[in-house]
Amino acid sequence: MISCKDISFSYDGKVPTLSNITLDIADGEFLCILGGNGSGKSTLAKHLNALLVPDSGSVEVDGLNTSDPQLVYDVRSRVGMVFQNPDDQLVATLVENDIAFGPENLGVPTNELSQRVADALASVGLMGFDQHETHALSGGQKQRVAIAGALAMHPEVLILDEASSMLDPRGRHGLLKVCQELNHAGMTIVMITHFMEEAALADRVVVLDRGRIALEGTPEEILTRADELHSLNLEEPFACQLALELKRRGLDIRPHVDEESVVTEIRAAMGRHIETSLCEEIAASDEAPQSSDAAPLIQFEHVYYSYEKSTRERARRRKKNAPAAQAAEWGNDPNAVWALRDISFDVHEGEMLGIAGHTGSGKSTIIQHMNGLVHPTQGRVLLQGVSMADKHVNETAKTTVGMVFQYPEHQLFANTVFEDVAFGPQNLGLSANEVTERVLEALRLVGLDADEVAQKSPFELSGGQQRRCAFAGVLAMRPRVLVLDEPVAGLDPAARTEFLQLIDDLHARGLTIVMVSHSMEDIATHCDRVLIMNKGSIVSLGTPREVFASDRDLKSIGLGLPAPQHMACLLRDAGIPLPRRRLYSTKTLVESIVALAAGGVA
Amino acid sequence: MEAFSFGSYYAGRSFIHRLDPRTKLLAGFGFLFIALASHTFPALAVLAIGIGISYALARIPVHYAVRSVAPLMVLVAFVAILTLFTEQSGRILFHLGFIQISEGSIYSCCFIACRMFLMMCGMSLVTMTTTTLDLTQAVEKLLMPLARVGFPAHEIGMILGIALRFMPQFATELSQTYQAQVSRGAKVASGPIGSLKFLSSISIPLFASVFRHAETLASAMDARCYHGEAGRTRLHPLRFCAYDVAAGIFMLALILCAAAIIILL
Repeated sequence: MISCKDISFSYDGKVPTLSNITLDIADGEFLCILGGNGSGKSTLAKHLNALLVPDSGSVEVDGLNTSDPQLVYDVRSRVGMVFQNPDDQLVATLVENDIAFGPENLGVPTNELSQRVADALASVGLMGFDQHETHALSGGQKQRVAIAGALAMHPEVLILDEASSMLDPRGRHGLLKVCQELNHAGMTIVMITHFMEEAALADRVVVLDRGRIALEGTPEEILTRADELHSLNLEEPFACQLALELKRRGLDIRPHVDEESVVTEIRAAMGRHIETSLCEEIAASDEAPQSSDAAPLIQFEHVYYSYEKSTRERARRRKKNAPAAQAAEWGNDPNAVWALRDISFDVHEGEMLGIAGHTGSGKSTIIQHMNGLVHPTQGRVLLQGVSMADKHVNETAKTTVGMVFQYPEHQLFANTVFEDVAFGPQNLGLSANEVTERVLEALRLVGLDADEVAQKSPFELSGGQQRRCAFAGVLAMRPRVLVLDEPVAGLDPAARTEFLQLIDDLHARGLTIVMVSHSMEDIATHCDRVLIMNKGSIVSLGTPREVFASDRDLKSIGLGLPAPQHMACLLRDAGIPLPRRRLYSTKTLVESIVALAAGGVA
Repeated sequence: MEAFSFGSYYAGRSFIHRLDPRTKLLAGFGFLFIALASHTFPALAVLAIGIGISYALARIPVHYAVRSVAPLMVLVAFVAILTLFTEQSGRILFHLGFIQISEGSIYSCCFIACRMFLMMCGMSLVTMTTTTLDLTQAVEKLLMPLARVGFPAHEIGMILGIALRFMPQFATELSQTYQAQVSRGAKVASGPIGSLKFLSSISIPLFASVFRHAETLASAMDARCYHGEAGRTRLHPLRFCAYDVAAGIFMLALILCAAAIIILL
């Protein structure tokens, strides 16, 4: 289908982005290209549909050479492409016009266009969305519209360039499902990603490192090589990680990429012990008792919030919605009256609180209340015992509670890193010396070398450094509480680990932290308490063990469990007597299994 | 966004809604022209009747129509009051320092207010019954004859369309940036230097975002074989139909009536 012969490419003529890549993609194949940030995977993807042409070597699609300017549109109509950011690849206001954009450019006759639009929408599971406005869709829906836009050109290959990296787990799941269905129907899929769970579903995996192919093979061959993956800024899927760890502890287990095989392996490895060991239900008491004497820093008291300020309008909407009270299938219902209902909880001094829930469940609205950006429609929010409705308290809230929004690097603006970080302290009216001291301190806290970066433009920094710089801008306010909205979104696995480490360090220095995240693993491993939101209400609040050990609530609202906990459930279902009501981390799960295999009690 | 609702689209399937956007745009401009040419109240009365019939045909509820035009009434009032003091003729009714009001100024004040009100109603009707997407396509098509002399009609249509597509996007991003900078203690009103800094802390991220979006958008359009107008087809091509002819005749009749009154009186 596509054949790359010895291609090399460089953006500036000096530093090679791709060097000597030879790769054949077969018809109907599901290929996954992996690599850390800056490994050249997106550049390679752009070579496959003639958005870029190689400096040397050749790329042929269906025998058409991409370097031939005459064939550019033939190549691009055969190879559809979906990009990373759902927000900047849709060209039209209405879904149907956007999907028709590709075939319109190809000159497909008008009477055939509407059929193509309908077919494309049907194959991504968005029937009846043709008249929707593109900006009002959820991220996952936008990406599926982008796929439909590519499909309407009747391509033979579909390339997804990190198309799922900015989506929430539900959107990612939907996208993956669509890709698998298309692949079963015969479409060749090339998926570029750093999510290993996605790579595990591919027929073949290619790992890039600094513009070269580092590893190539089936997911089973590649994803089980943990050490090599780590050196390439990637990490193996959880099932694999567990199997490798157990193997190291002496169990006879071959690592696999999919959960089921690992469960089967573990069962086989400890088969004879299962009957003999007792299935004891231990209520784990290994957790420190909740220290309730810590003073609440922020208190929510029966907070309701509605975007509609007038009571009359709210009543009207409620009436309108009452007969057709069906829940929106994806995301939040734009006509819902309350964005938050009856929210009461405390943020304690020195704790790390995780907030999880689907997109649109009210997480972002909650954190906007924490520093007085928005005020509750009913109820009140107290900061250190005083209501934030007070204007003076509202002022201090900005310095006491530091906010790091999603993709904070998008808010950088100043000429130099120093000036950007100094923006907050200057707004506080501090003296020049004090400002300098705070900037240097903040840069040190986020692990940036002031001598090296302070005088650089923030736009010259790498993505990870930009985010650190934005963090520093908030830390320079010397907040007591740090509120983080999806702090690791869009980072590759290595950078994600580094950032979580940074957050742990800040917490260890005494900072109270509130972290909104889609990743249940991150929340379970790092947070002291977890708050789960659904449709504007609190579903559960407690320690990770209390929240995650009873998996029923979470399943009913469609949220996943942390990977080790999920695996523990699967193992239990397979008849392995792992105690219930316990929160498993990778370490404790390994310990329990090893203990069971040795004939003891977990 | 809510504050400025002049002529925002009112979904419907009426006769007027289904007209070709080009017809509506041309009729709108024809109406503006004839309203500007009218110098007497009877001529305005004819136009008012015409507008009334059109609103009825479009089946737009009165309160929607009022809400749509209301924001611009400030402008109408402003111009009318200005006329009150500048246009002078006939008996002087009121005099205080340099301010004087005469019979003529009251007449022209009322007249200008009525004329501007009608013009606003006319334009508002066009945008209330036409989606922005159709409007951009109409602008593009109407400018097309100029393409022969090298005028980039298609490109302008494309630019308008993309601008509309990204408007809500940038509104969201703007509000996010605003919140982030306010969280870092930025204040809108904090002296001239502070305000300037505040403005740049919000506008620079927005520009950066525009360029970031533009880069990917360009690749995405390339990937979908966009290469200008040549050989492009349309999902919903604009077509004139019998309705448009009827609307044209109605408009022509209105113009003739008004013209007759202007000439006769």
